[in-house]
Amino acid sequence: MNNIMIGRFVPGNSWVHRLDPRTKMIVTFVYIIVMLWANNWQTYAWTAAFVVALVKLTDQPFKLYWDGLKPIFWLILFTVILQLLFTPGTPILFSVGPFQVTVPGILNAIYVMVRFVLIILMSTILTLTTPPTSIANALESLLSPFKKIGVPVAELALMLAIALRFVPLLMDEMQKIMNAQKSRGMSFSTGGPIKRAKAIIPLLIPLFIGALQRALDLANAMEVRGFKDAVQRTKYRILSYQKIDKVAFTALIGFVIIFFVIKTWLHG
Amino acid sequence: MQKNLAKTNTSIGSVQNITLIAVIAAVYAAITFVIQPLAFGPVQLRASEGLNHLAAWHKRYIIALGLGVFIANLVSPLGWIDWIFGTMGTVIMTSITYLVTRRVKRAVTKIVISSVVVATIGMAILAAEFTLAFNIGASGAFPSGSNGGIFAQWLAYYLSVMPGEVASLIAGGIVIYALSKMIDLSK
Repeated sequence: MNNIMIGRFVPGNSWVHRLDPRTKMIVTFVYIIVMLWANNWQTYAWTAAFVVALVKLTDQPFKLYWDGLKPIFWLILFTVILQLLFTPGTPILFSVGPFQVTVPGILNAIYVMVRFVLIILMSTILTLTTPPTSIANALESLLSPFKKIGVPVAELALMLAIALRFVPLLMDEMQKIMNAQKSRGMSFSTGGPIKRAKAIIPLLIPLFIGALQRALDLANAMEVRGFKDAVQRTKYRILSYQKIDKVAFTALIGFVIIFFVIKTWLHG
Repeated sequence: MQKNLAKTNTSIGSVQNITLIAVIAAVYAAITFVIQPLAFGPVQLRASEGLNHLAAWHKRYIIALGLGVFIANLVSPLGWIDWIFGTMGTVIMTSITYLVTRRVKRAVTKIVISSVVVATIGMAILAAEFTLAFNIGASGAFPSGSNGGIFAQWLAYYLSVMPGEVASLIAGGIVIYALSKMIDLSK
């Protein structure tokens, strides 16, 4: 149980893997914002082409991306049905009770599904090629301007780093507690929802108390080693932008410009 | 341990505060990962959501829960959208819980108030996340006068996230109540 990985990071040496985590975070962020402006098949086709090219560059089997889509299948289905039922317009194809299925409704449903798939693919590119600790480091760096308005970015980053380190430990501990309770005849996977919810209680209380004790021990250990504050903490890995990051940013700017050219041009 | 906890300095940067926040955040994330039948999207059931009650005891848990949600959402297929809305939503709703319950002494009352806040305000934000991310502007959808389409969709998401959340809040409420009898959570 010691090798529990959190996140969906798959190690590799692809072009995307080697990018600075900040670059990847900015690119995915800008991409998702820009994609929300897509409003016809041409703009969707362009945004899709950009993602597909990036997926290719990650050198990962497509199955991994498919796995990202699976857990959210019901959300997609639910949203598509909502679009079908709640989009007014003409021509009306048929009515189901108070709801009407219209041609614009079907178009909307398709666009929304595409939008979903694109968001998931883009997010998967980021989490597949970036370990969670890098995401945390990148976030600290990207949020540093907020220090000026009094956001304790350094403290938050330290907490995030400690928390990320503790997640696998606590998952391990949970497994141990579960096994201990199971050996005493507890069952976590049978019965209705209420019985299952009740089964969680004897799991969480020891977990909680153990976790609080660990936090206090860690605080003592840090103080003993002379920890003063999070602000002056030094780093083992220092982020720096490389040439490939410049290439990535250029590609992003190109993507955004072409997107808006297609969008305005087609609306003429 | 009660004695140790009592020493806790309340300034945000103190070492004990940092480690306590970090570890509670890790507890949230670990519970999400280990007990996860359906942790993302509508119709979600996150057992860890029951920890939201903690904010009724100490403001430290507001940050802890925000970070916990962020870490849990690091594996969310929705990426950025969940990182921003999930974290902000949690910080907003737990802050409200903290402010409303400041003068409340009884553990049960705290838990009931917290449940109401999370189920109304918290879930409203979550439903807004889905509505915003997937529907607004979709192919120029929802032209003006679209029969309240946005509201209808928001309501549909809201009603779908509700049952799982209420279940987590009840289970979480029992756990936190039991815990509050064993350790002083407000220290």
